[in-house]
Amino acid sequence: MNWRLQGSKVLVVDLNGDAVRAASGSMVAYEGDIAFKSAGTGGGGGLRAALMQRVAGESLNLMECRGRGTLHLAVSAMDVVLVELAGEELRAESEQLLALSEGLRTEVVFAGLQGATSGQGLFTTKVTGHGPLALLSAGGPPIALRVTPQAPLVVDPQAFIASRGRLSQTFVTDVSWRNLAGEGSGEAFSLRFEGDGVVYVQPEERG
Amino acid sequence: MSIQSTTPQPLDPTTLPDHDNVPGNAYAYCVRLTQPLFMQTGRMIAYYPAPGGQGIRFEPLMATSLTGMVAERFSSPLYSRDWVVANGSAHVILGDRGFDINSYDLDQGNLTVRAANLLAFDASLELKESIIPGFLTLIGTGKFLASSSGPVIFVEPPIRVDPEALVGWADCPAPSLHFDAGWMGHFLGAARGALLGTRSGEERQYDFTGAGTVLLQSSERMMEDPQVLRRLEGEVDGLGTGQLQRLQQVIQSRLMQQQQ
Repeated sequence: MNWRLQGSKVLVVDLNGDAVRAASGSMVAYEGDIAFKSAGTGGGGGLRAALMQRVAGESLNLMECRGRGTLHLAVSAMDVVLVELAGEELRAESEQLLALSEGLRTEVVFAGLQGATSGQGLFTTKVTGHGPLALLSAGGPPIALRVTPQAPLVVDPQAFIASRGRLSQTFVTDVSWRNLAGEGSGEAFSLRFEGDGVVYVQPEERG
Repeated sequence: MSIQSTTPQPLDPTTLPDHDNVPGNAYAYCVRLTQPLFMQTGRMIAYYPAPGGQGIRFEPLMATSLTGMVAERFSSPLYSRDWVVANGSAHVILGDRGFDINSYDLDQGNLTVRAANLLAFDASLELKESIIPGFLTLIGTGKFLASSSGPVIFVEPPIRVDPEALVGWADCPAPSLHFDAGWMGHFLGAARGALLGTRSGEERQYDFTGAGTVLLQSSERMMEDPQVLRRLEGEVDGLGTGQLQRLQQVIQSRLMQQQQ
């Protein structure tokens, strides 16, 4: 399996009889003999997980693409970020996941309870295992920000794409942030990351 | 299994610029906050609090501890609800819906910019409302950040520009509205109002004269400006019953057009 970018917005995957899970509707072209079938919501974990997804709106619609050939994936001209996981944990907004290799497991996790307005950040999709995955960034190339014990990071939940590594994520609902979020739009809380890892953000806020 | 890619190199406070675009990213900008900064709400995407500091406080202009400074520098009641003063020490990263972001230096100058495109400005600058609705003027010495749809193009008057492509102007007099002569001829010849619905969108232009610089963006994609609505609501107060009914008709026909 070979993963590469064509330009910055199209992911190209070569398949040799193996499979990749990709966001439903993200296939723009393919060559060869590839079969597509719905892989469900991809959350795994039976009824409880399905219920959580229903509650959270954190649903991950994936299709399984299996066969031999070359697959081209893209969504809404968003930039694509390739990440290779080597056993560590990645947490992502489900709508920012473009593709996952076979070796990766996904699970919806409860991330915390605070006065969320849109549900973003409340539940996230946890990805674990070994292999490449592709994320989407709206509004331009993604920004990777390193978090260390000396340098914690505060992120706007609407610009958050994913976090990776040994990070603890807390919701901060200070009045000060509420001022910044503005009227009628934005979240009343910010995400604070501490520990050791990398956080990916995009230059555009999800509406 | 192999990956050929340029996964973005992780940045941290030691590698982020103090006042520049995020490396390789025209759509994000990093400012090292050391003194008060005026920021438009909803434009910050992340920040690193400086070690040992108190983080950042974002104070609404209505309830700030710096009332005297704000009253002196921010001379626009209309826009005061959309701005905050950021105070503290941190690396702040700003983004604006995927628009290009640029920094501008003013040295004893004045520059007028579309309000929705202005992201942040130093407290050393003074902000006033422009006579042209929807634009803000910055006066003095300092830096500010503004966004544009595509890179900014600098041109010199005399020039006529499409209102939607206008980002701002510096040093030259405020523009006047110019209507294409051919279109005016038709308009005057036809029954009054009959042509108002048949605009091409290009007959209405801003006319710049004098010496200075005009800033244009390469795309006409418009951002919805909440102030337009607020300003119109304010003006409705002065209307009589007949005028209000007429306004209702206009709004209804516009709504029907948009729904089609």
